[in-house]
Amino acid sequence: MKRTTRSIAAVVVTAAIAATALTSCSSGGSSSDTKSLNVAYWDYGKGAEDGNQALADGFEKANPGTTVTLTPIAGDNWGGYYANLATLIASGKKPDLTFTASEGIKFLAANNLVVPINDYLNNDPAAKTFKDDIAPALLQSFGYKGDITALPNGWNDMVIYYNTKLFDAAGLPYPKSDWTWDDFKATAKALTKDTNGDGTTDQYGFTWAGNEIFPGILPWVANAGGNLVNSDVSDATANSAPVVKAVTYLEDLITEGIAPAPAPMSDIFTRFEGGQVAMFGGGRWPSATFLPAGFTDFDVQLYPTGDTYQTVAGAAGYAILTSAVNPDLAWEFQKYTVSADIQDSEIGTATAPRDSIPSLRSTAEKTVAAGIPPKSGQLFYDSVDKYPALTPFPAPAKYSEYESTVLRYTQLIFAGETSVKDGLDSLQTDLSAVITGK
Amino acid sequence: MTNTTVRQAVGDGRKPATHGGEIAPKRRTRPGDGWAAAAFLAPSAGSFLLFVLAPTIGVIALSFYSWNLLSDGTFIGLDNFTRLFSDSRLVAVYRSTTTMALAILAINIVIGLLLAVLLETRMPRIIRGFFRLSFLFPFVVSSSAVALIWRFLLNKDLGLVNYWLGFIGVDHIDWLGSSAWAPVAVVLVNSWKTVGFSILVYVAGLQSIPNEIKEAAIVDGANAWQRFFRITLPLLSPTVFFLVVINTINAFQVFAEPRVLTQGGPGDASRTVVEFIYDTAFQSFDLGYASTVGITLMLVLVVLTLIQFRVSRRFTFYG
Repeated sequence: MKRTTRSIAAVVVTAAIAATALTSCSSGGSSSDTKSLNVAYWDYGKGAEDGNQALADGFEKANPGTTVTLTPIAGDNWGGYYANLATLIASGKKPDLTFTASEGIKFLAANNLVVPINDYLNNDPAAKTFKDDIAPALLQSFGYKGDITALPNGWNDMVIYYNTKLFDAAGLPYPKSDWTWDDFKATAKALTKDTNGDGTTDQYGFTWAGNEIFPGILPWVANAGGNLVNSDVSDATANSAPVVKAVTYLEDLITEGIAPAPAPMSDIFTRFEGGQVAMFGGGRWPSATFLPAGFTDFDVQLYPTGDTYQTVAGAAGYAILTSAVNPDLAWEFQKYTVSADIQDSEIGTATAPRDSIPSLRSTAEKTVAAGIPPKSGQLFYDSVDKYPALTPFPAPAKYSEYESTVLRYTQLIFAGETSVKDGLDSLQTDLSAVITGK
Repeated sequence: MTNTTVRQAVGDGRKPATHGGEIAPKRRTRPGDGWAAAAFLAPSAGSFLLFVLAPTIGVIALSFYSWNLLSDGTFIGLDNFTRLFSDSRLVAVYRSTTTMALAILAINIVIGLLLAVLLETRMPRIIRGFFRLSFLFPFVVSSSAVALIWRFLLNKDLGLVNYWLGFIGVDHIDWLGSSAWAPVAVVLVNSWKTVGFSILVYVAGLQSIPNEIKEAAIVDGANAWQRFFRITLPLLSPTVFFLVVINTINAFQVFAEPRVLTQGGPGDASRTVVEFIYDTAFQSFDLGYASTVGITLMLVLVVLTLIQFRVSRRFTFYG
């Protein structure tokens, strides 16, 4: 009897603690007030917190009576963010809108979590302005089975960053937009040096991110005229001739001593600032690291042309979720993120630029006019306006697994442990399984 | 009569008399004691239930489902378990994990002991303090932060480690990019970080060995080697056993180092099972299969620990 009482006591106390813990987890509750919005965003640092707070404050001010609750979500990278976002949604707490990149939209859409915005785009008179002022390639990066799933409010394309000081020291002219793969290799070779004469190279011509595919192999694949996926993103094309050509070209840069072993992107920033690497690929975001640190000896140019030229670009925006209590209000919020006011705040300053390119062409032009480095910043928007973009956007629903699968095999290839052909053949088998789910 | 005798001989339920001849006061349980005990136990019992037992049960339940976090889960019976047998990547990952774990374990147990013994030799206090702090320091800093710095140092073409190795004629080693060296890099960085803890425990064990025994051995003419192998090591065996168990469990759960240093690559050369579980759960969003792999790791660790306990009976000396 006494033992029973004790057990009951233990259970009661445990239950009380559990209940306290659980209620504190779910505090905030769900909003039934139709004038309130819950917006989930990727909290990758203070910049993200400030930017989203400004967005929420601005929207509340522009729409009296509405309240915007922000849900910051941690994550080391996009993959981590999506994992945490999915966990949040799985726990039953469903935001009205969520920040997402083109890479992740199919994952959300494939799980019926995103409200397509086609009707809004066709019926809202204000939408026409956006359609005219946003490059079609950016809208298309948010496409899913013929639907547009969100308005991009910021984006990045892949361009070549080059260290102007190292070019000057080598007596090389700055690259032109029509440079070819041969020009590129010759330039990179001329920038590869043993500056202190100790017999080993300490300045390399070029390197690329070993931990991401967008600033990694993808621009080369695109310019070889290929893609990693087929035209409707229903299967992989990882061992197609253009991919083999692109990876072989990069592999040659390593074996010829022009490029070091690929390292993660953040390491490359440091090497580039330190003059150990003369060129690398990235979007606008590297400049948001370089400029606040006072490093200005750089400019950008398009990736060199191979068999063709195709810009690789990806966008980010706030997608409306199917859990939105008031989708119309959520659409107003989404529109607000691409309003001129908010877009202007995406410009930043010459010493503290923002890390993505504004999606409105008119705002992007202001960025160039404001004299914010890089000097050739005009190229950012031109790359999607004046040049063809890689289509389809190379991201299947299982983006994180797809990217890590590609990296798993390219690591082996670039380490010289498997031939380009064998590596890509194996990659094709695995990647096809990831995309088709078989 | 006989019954009574027997009962008295084995005790009749009454407390025996104490040496002073007085009856010892009977410990009484007051009515509120049960509640008090429950209240004291509740915080640890509650957190154990919430953060250990409940998730474990959840993982076991999930292993019978196909679930991607966002969709409704589908019950698939034993499909996840049968998949284990045809997963060649899992075999490769277990192989690399085991190799790295054995190396990490060996370094912690052998090098850790060596360093601890060296630390316990005669030296000025301040120097001893400096060394102890130096060995322990890596243990208290974040694994990811440590690995980030090492990633920079171990870079094949631009890293400081290869630069210095160049002075002794060693050609650039591809620490992070080659299948042969990437696991070595993970083992070195992880051991560099964890050996401080082993040293700390060893030092405590060494200090608990009574000096009299060592002195008696000296008087008997035992040399330093004999003293170490005949006295120190046997008396240290419970410490060694404790460290073997703890380090085995830790070594099989390495995550941050391969994640940051090599991203598990090249291929799966330096991928650990825990990394594989994370990738399956949060990159492939295959929570069911990830849970199943998690269960295999749990079983492996339980079996290894049981074996260690069984074997230790023969070698462990509790003085």
